[in-house]
Amino acid sequence: MVRKAMLIDESKCTACRGCQVACKQWNDLQGWNYSQTVNSGSYENPPRLTPQTWTRIRFREYESPEGFRWLFLKEGCMHCGNPACVHVCPTHALKQQPDGRVTVESDLCNGCGYCTQFCPFGIPQLEVKGIISGKAKAFKCTFCQDRTDNGLLPACVKTCPAAALSWGDRDKMIAAGKKRVEALKARGFPKANLYGENLVGGLGRLYVLVERPEAYGLPPDPQYPVMTTVWQNIIQPLGKIGLGATLLGTLVAWWVIRRNIKMEEVE
Amino acid sequence: MSVQGSQQEGHVFQIRWIPKYTFTERLLHWVHTVSFIPLVITGLVLYLDALRPLAQGEAGQWMRWVHRLAAILFIAEPVIYGILQPRRLWMHIKEFSFDRDDLGWIKNAYGYYVKGRHEVMPPQGRFNTGEKMNGMIMIVTWILFTVTGLIMWFGKGWVAPELFRWMVVIHDLTMIAAVSIFIVHLYLAVAHPLMWAALVSMRFGVTSASYAAEHHSKWYYGPKRAQELFEAKKKLASSKAQGG
Repeated sequence: MVRKAMLIDESKCTACRGCQVACKQWNDLQGWNYSQTVNSGSYENPPRLTPQTWTRIRFREYESPEGFRWLFLKEGCMHCGNPACVHVCPTHALKQQPDGRVTVESDLCNGCGYCTQFCPFGIPQLEVKGIISGKAKAFKCTFCQDRTDNGLLPACVKTCPAAALSWGDRDKMIAAGKKRVEALKARGFPKANLYGENLVGGLGRLYVLVERPEAYGLPPDPQYPVMTTVWQNIIQPLGKIGLGATLLGTLVAWWVIRRNIKMEEVE
Repeated sequence: MSVQGSQQEGHVFQIRWIPKYTFTERLLHWVHTVSFIPLVITGLVLYLDALRPLAQGEAGQWMRWVHRLAAILFIAEPVIYGILQPRRLWMHIKEFSFDRDDLGWIKNAYGYYVKGRHEVMPPQGRFNTGEKMNGMIMIVTWILFTVTGLIMWFGKGWVAPELFRWMVVIHDLTMIAAVSIFIVHLYLAVAHPLMWAALVSMRFGVTSASYAAEHHSKWYYGPKRAQELFEAKKKLASSKAQGG
């Protein structure tokens, strides 16, 4: 199946945060508890991704050589082509769909939280109901699985009034992103770049940025955690072989000694 | 001939019981058992594909809850013992340390435990080499389980993700080591035909004097006498072998 992706043109984003509202509305997520809002020295709100906030606009005040510039970044799941969260999920609640969307099925999640610790971007959020009991559920953006499964646009893309968001086949999104980067460069944004084409197996969330990724607080070179491979592809299979061999060896030893002792009794 | 008659003649196998484990030691052993087994079961659901349905959703949350309850018991039990009886805990650690006789035991263990050959085994203390190895591995795995487990339990979001990933992997490796040892331990205790006295000792605290003399002579006779008997046994065996 053709891989899908979201293209986010940060040069067009006005930080209206309509996407945040649309996301909450469609996915039936709770709002931030505004009685607890404190001034953190920034216009951004809510202050971070939470189990009930799957996307939000990050505000960065940036001093470029051309002068002060607002940098807006629509945070959310990157839908990596090589998703560590899926590989460490012991319940298969996290899945990589044939079209590349990384989805999470709440009913299957047992709240172990490995995804939150193995994600190279720190995206999945754990809703912890009790630290002692370990009752928890992980949440993140699913590209509105219920909408996109039925040929609709993700809610945030549908609502974006600045047309900064688009959704479609990944190669088309990459082509459009590259075209836009060229246009921006021609219009006096020499550092314009497309983020995510080849990172972590190719991201499903592509950004057109006017500054270097670091300026937005994006990791310039995110890595698929090497411990995922060590754990899932080496230790776990070897451990199963080891445990199986121990069990089998014990059974064989039992069979041998019973036979030998009977032979001695005959003698 | 009646049964009573033969008993009077002294031909029937008669057991003289001597104390081996204290009540506290046995309690410690069984508390460890009843915490370890649920920990393994509730942990394996995350590891074995066949058990995945038990790891998912509501069932999985129960598994994680049971894992935590059992973990409290598992962690607390040696700690409480160490606080109440620090000298006995130190004694166990000394009892578990290795000496020269352990090498000979390891050399002959395969023939003895697997082939059932009554080879001459070097004299052993209250714990033989295998039991000592089991004990040492238990101590090391307990430390690893506790440290990695507590960090995974309470450190999520506080410690660096890189550290958390190491903890998950070390916890897994520790489990593989501990469960492998546990399989062998369980087999020797409940199924091995020559080791019948071990389970009796752990249940009732006593062992047969003749079993102790054969398997734990350093503990039964003291190290010097045990060594003398061992030398004599070896001489007898070699003269037998020469005689044909």
